[in-house]
Amino acid sequence: MSSYAGADTTAGASNPSGANNLSATEIDAHQRAVSYTCGDCDQDVQLRRGEPIRCRNCGHRVLYKKRTNRMVQFEAR
Amino acid sequence: MPEPTAEELERRNRLQILPEIVSDQTSTDFPGHWPGENHAYDLEKFKKNFKVQFHTDDTASLMKAQKHAIPSSRRIDQVFSLIGIDASLANAFRRIMISEVPTLAIEDVFIYQNTSVIQDEVFAHRLGLIPLTADRLSLHNMAWYTKPVEGEPTATELTDQNCVILHLQVKCEWKEGGLEKAAKGVSDPNELYVNHSVYARDLVWQKHGKQTEWPEDDPVRSVYPDILIAKMRPGQEVIMKMHAHKGIGQDHAKFSPVATASYRLLPTIDILKPIVGADAKKFQGCFPPGVIRLDSVTSEDAKKYGELSEKEGEPKAVVANPMGDTVSREALRHPEFKDKVRLGRVRDHFIFKVESTGQWDSDELFLHSVQLLKTKAQRIKRGLDLMMK
Ligand SMILES: [Zn+2]
Repeated sequence: MSSYAGADTTAGASNPSGANNLSATEIDAHQRAVSYTCGDCDQDVQLRRGEPIRCRNCGHRVLYKKRTNRMVQFEAR
Repeated sequence: MPEPTAEELERRNRLQILPEIVSDQTSTDFPGHWPGENHAYDLEKFKKNFKVQFHTDDTASLMKAQKHAIPSSRRIDQVFSLIGIDASLANAFRRIMISEVPTLAIEDVFIYQNTSVIQDEVFAHRLGLIPLTADRLSLHNMAWYTKPVEGEPTATELTDQNCVILHLQVKCEWKEGGLEKAAKGVSDPNELYVNHSVYARDLVWQKHGKQTEWPEDDPVRSVYPDILIAKMRPGQEVIMKMHAHKGIGQDHAKFSPVATASYRLLPTIDILKPIVGADAKKFQGCFPPGVIRLDSVTSEDAKKYGELSEKEGEPKAVVANPMGDTVSREALRHPEFKDKVRLGRVRDHFIFKVESTGQWDSDELFLHSVQLLKTKAQRIKRGLDLMMK
């Protein structure tokens, strides 16, 4: 887990060239960081759009998306 | 009109418990069964013969067995007898108590966060089954809520009258120094984590509207604070909101106020010929403790029965408390008691045992069932009157 490749792979994928490229970057600036959980060390990882998918703590490349706070309704039956 | 003798009436009122069968189960006191006898239903006769008897209840042992959030003065496991009533009525009361007396229970669960290992739908189901309690007058005055059905106009709206809001928010975390302890091999969750278990006592009632006027000292809460809803580990969290409504057991078992309501017929043990000596001891052993008492053979007994003339002072089996019998029929298995004992049950003596889940007292539940049956009868009567017009 020492060879940190940089932003080459992930940045390219999340930066599509096109007409609304500019507006997308504008939205990015306002977007809050999304919090993930590291698959190795279980730490919180704050990621913004375009950042490499990588744990800041241990460098692990597998991150898990957290459950959102979106409400789901169930019947108690 | 010939009147049956008292012995004949008593014989008719008994079920027979034989070694392999139970006979005479059905009642015969209805019009047309006995020639020349009048068995038409008579309210005055019922009033004269009907009796209610209360027995020592099991509430204390029930309260001792599990922690309760209700006062120990509450009577939630009562045992009582209805004597002189037909099985159809006794059974109607039992069935109404189980499925038609309303209670408050959690119906809708709004899950904002649940990272515990219990799936959302299972979690919601578990919440629904928790018996709730609160000020009983306020609960009694609550209104019904009908869920909106697609395509049909909504009948009721959610109000402070028909909806109780509850909250549950628990997050499990490491205790201070817990991580180090875990590394050393400590595995007791009490030492490692805070909030590792979600209990029914973590439910918090959010008063709204008129509910702020409900008595302060009797909030909406679980009857049993120690009900375990889920287990968690550090980082896991549950955040949910619940709506509790009034409902009946017919709709879902969580609304049933009893667990459960049942009755049995009073057992009878008739000793036809004296059982004495070693046989008496053996006979006593055929029944649960307290059912058979051992007296000694008196001189009167010896005079009355020739075979006892030499046996004055020996132990003699006497029926002390037939209600305690489980009717195991053990006595009928032994040849030495052949033709000496007759087992039976009294057809119109119903020993009810009403174990409440804690929202209502046993006697309140029974009276409520009587009221509901009355309402049903009045509804039918109105319908019949309408039909005759
Ligand atoms: Zn990591």
